[in-house]
Amino acid sequence: MELTSHQFKSVSSAKLKDVKLQKALYKAKDGFVVPRAKVVAELDNFEEIRQAAADVRDHGLAHLDVYLEEWEKQAQAAGTIVHWAESYEELNALVVKIAQDNQVKKIIKSKSMVGEETGLNRYVEGHGIEVKETDLGEYIIQQAGEHPSHIIAPATHKSKDDVADLFAEKHQRPRLDDAEKLTHEAREILRPHFLDADMGITGANFMIAETGSTVILTNEGNGRMTTTMPRVHVAISSIEKCIPTLDDFALMMRLLPRSATGQVISNYVSMTTGPKRAKDNDGPGEFHVIILDVGRTRVLGSDLRDALRCIRCGACMNHCPVYQNVGGHAYGWVYPGPIGSVLTPAYNGIENAIDLPNAATLCNQCGVVCPVKIPLPDLMRKLREKQYERNLKSSAEKWSLRLWAYLALRPKLYSIVTRIMARVGKLLGGDSRRINHLLFGGKDWTRHRDLPAPRGRTFRDIYLNRNKTTNR
Amino acid sequence: MPARENILARIRAANKAANVADVMDSSVADRLASPPISPLPKLEWDPEGQFKLRGHESASTLDEIAQIDELPRAVTRYLSKNTLPTKLVCWPEFIDLPWSAEGIQIESRGAIGDDKVGLTGSYCAIAETGTLVLLSGQESHATTSLLPETHIAVIRRSRIVKTMEDAWQLIRGEVVSLPRQVSFISGPSRTADIEMTLVYGAHGPFRVHVIILDQ
Amino acid sequence: MRVGLFVTCVVDLMRPSIGLAAVKLLERADCEVIFPENQTCCGQPAYNAGDRLTAQQLARKVISEFADVDYVVIPSGSCGGMIKTHYEELLSDLPEYRVKAQWLAARTYELTDFLVNVVDMDSFDTTFQGAIAYHDSCAGLRELNIKEQPRKLLSHLAHVDLKEMAGAEQCCGFGGTFSVKYGDISSRIVDLKCDDLEATEVDALVLGDLGCMLNIEGKLRRRGNHKTKVLHIAEVLTGLVGEETE
Repeated sequence: MELTSHQFKSVSSAKLKDVKLQKALYKAKDGFVVPRAKVVAELDNFEEIRQAAADVRDHGLAHLDVYLEEWEKQAQAAGTIVHWAESYEELNALVVKIAQDNQVKKIIKSKSMVGEETGLNRYVEGHGIEVKETDLGEYIIQQAGEHPSHIIAPATHKSKDDVADLFAEKHQRPRLDDAEKLTHEAREILRPHFLDADMGITGANFMIAETGSTVILTNEGNGRMTTTMPRVHVAISSIEKCIPTLDDFALMMRLLPRSATGQVISNYVSMTTGPKRAKDNDGPGEFHVIILDVGRTRVLGSDLRDALRCIRCGACMNHCPVYQNVGGHAYGWVYPGPIGSVLTPAYNGIENAIDLPNAATLCNQCGVVCPVKIPLPDLMRKLREKQYERNLKSSAEKWSLRLWAYLALRPKLYSIVTRIMARVGKLLGGDSRRINHLLFGGKDWTRHRDLPAPRGRTFRDIYLNRNKTTNR
Repeated sequence: MPARENILARIRAANKAANVADVMDSSVADRLASPPISPLPKLEWDPEGQFKLRGHESASTLDEIAQIDELPRAVTRYLSKNTLPTKLVCWPEFIDLPWSAEGIQIESRGAIGDDKVGLTGSYCAIAETGTLVLLSGQESHATTSLLPETHIAVIRRSRIVKTMEDAWQLIRGEVVSLPRQVSFISGPSRTADIEMTLVYGAHGPFRVHVIILDQ
Repeated sequence: MRVGLFVTCVVDLMRPSIGLAAVKLLERADCEVIFPENQTCCGQPAYNAGDRLTAQQLARKVISEFADVDYVVIPSGSCGGMIKTHYEELLSDLPEYRVKAQWLAARTYELTDFLVNVVDMDSFDTTFQGAIAYHDSCAGLRELNIKEQPRKLLSHLAHVDLKEMAGAEQCCGFGGTFSVKYGDISSRIVDLKCDDLEATEVDALVLGDLGCMLNIEGKLRRRGNHKTKVLHIAEVLTGLVGEETE
């Protein structure tokens, strides 16, 4: 997917003014935050379970080579054809090759964020193969020619009216006016594609080393359809999705649906191990898994490696005050919100997403909801340090910081300067005690809000004088 | 396969460079050989009660029968109450029951696009989440629980286990290797992709009816 | 006991009454208040901007200034969080300072945490009265677990009626330099905070962090709300509010 994170500032400002988007975001926020809180509270030892999950992910990553080899061994024993890809191009080409080898004309696809990374749909379509997204949100986005704005609710930026207009135009049917009718129209339209597609593509939420399985979670059932109906199934995943055992998977399942949608479990959890068995009546005759490493190993060897624990629940974005107001598109790549602010620069180069790690208040709401305890604010701060080291900060920011540091390290001078500032500030505030027009860097403050004026004297000044007086 | 070797080599180099201590006591080999169970939440409920509660929450409907030959009557009861078609496809294990006496047309085969009602068994069920566990296989078509608009599932009371960990324990003991697909099903298909409005019947069944069988 | 007051740079410059109120509270608890005169800033702005070296210099300065006190008390969750939860990591490559950072962290308390959990203060000399809401500042809440402490202190005030506002734990959008670098977003977030506050219909918003305070008060005034006061909890507990202290 094309990276547009460098436009974060202008795009986010535009999104704040987009009334329709704001309405949709407002709905989505409550729709995610409230149910999550409810089902998390049902677990008496949520913190203990979270810690266990973080430990399992860390352990898995520390021995990722061994677990991936074990996964491959088990998968191959079950008849899975395993591929590895080191670039987006390589993954896309593998998919097309598999499709061509099997005379595939039509592909049905269940949501895959790795597929979004590689720009798979466009590539496959460029080779004359039809691709139908089947997750309702992804289907909407595909019809509209857009990118997902959320990793588990891709069309969350769209209103019902948007979808109604879109379906009426694309389906050439009378315009429908409610979510249920629209959903059922999509069902009707997509059902024949499930039945006659030659190949299914899915992502994989997890790969389980113990059994060589891949797992996907859906609520709609499109995942089961995609893994069961076509004659060829290709799952695309990335190295860090590998976890050790079935019991470790059970642990993740206590956290992922809760954190993602506020469900105790997703409706359909489908674990696939190999293709159709000789005597089976259904299932694909061929099952391929493509394991991607783009950026992952680089992050694994860096101080950002905690980010690889991510299980893609979306809780960090759902709870982020920035995401809640600007939506996912502003982030300019596949993963929005706090995790995106770490992964986007980590995978695409720090210099290509300067704003993202800075566009956060570091409020740590993301950190406390993350089911695998990724210290997201710390990782964003580390990225800021790397920007600073590489001299990627704006000169205005750099120089104001330097000036301030110069003063803060010289207490005598500092006390004189702040004493003057307190006095001048009081004068600027006047009777209203509010400053509403600051210059230079300050104008970015007063463009949006007043600055309560200083009171004329610093604390240091008052306190030390008071003590002098009493001591005499 | 250069990609494979390159990636594995990069993982090894990265882990070496990061130099982080493993948080686990057990080695990789031990973990794979006898998978440890992570901390569980309090499971202070009776499994059957919890299964029913969660089933209800996930919008499944429930019924209970004492003997398997009561199944045709229970199915008829459900179908007529909901004015659903009386033509079914089922897993082979149910085909020999007295269906015709209830006026039900039934076939033992996988479902195709037009089938309206599918009847399946289930391998086991998980009380904690109200989940049916189905294993794909020669006698257990995956399509039967997927394509029809109504899915009726039979679960034996003795097969309701507490947790997913318990389900894995059962599977490890009874099944040589995992089937092509293990399907965990918790209620009818749904989506909330349009304005967070919950709608049933996205791509899978609109209705899931669970019949608990005593023996 | 000797209690070092780290008043914070923003209190020092913008709202000295909070520092005076903190002193009054500590003295009321029979603490010997030590105010190291050379204190400036905890280094958080540099730390959050990625300037690790400057942040380290300032952290070392703070550590040396508070080397001989029993406790360090800070009327701010975010500066308290910086010292208590970040200094050790910040100084991790300087072994000698790392140990000192741990020592300091163990002695450092956010003001309300100190009043509740160290000196257990339960009576206050204040004239303040009215209906208030409490905003849980991010660092205090999520780094230092400051949640019940201010509420417990406020519950001792007979003429104060605490009403919980919706979204009390939601960030106000300040975020240090975020508030100016991403002003449009920051402004929207604080607008929502003001909406929640105004819907609660109180006389004052009370909180424990200066950044949030300037941000929320500044936004309320810009919106034309000149009625709802925005006060630090130390001001409420002592009645030392704003101008009247001088």
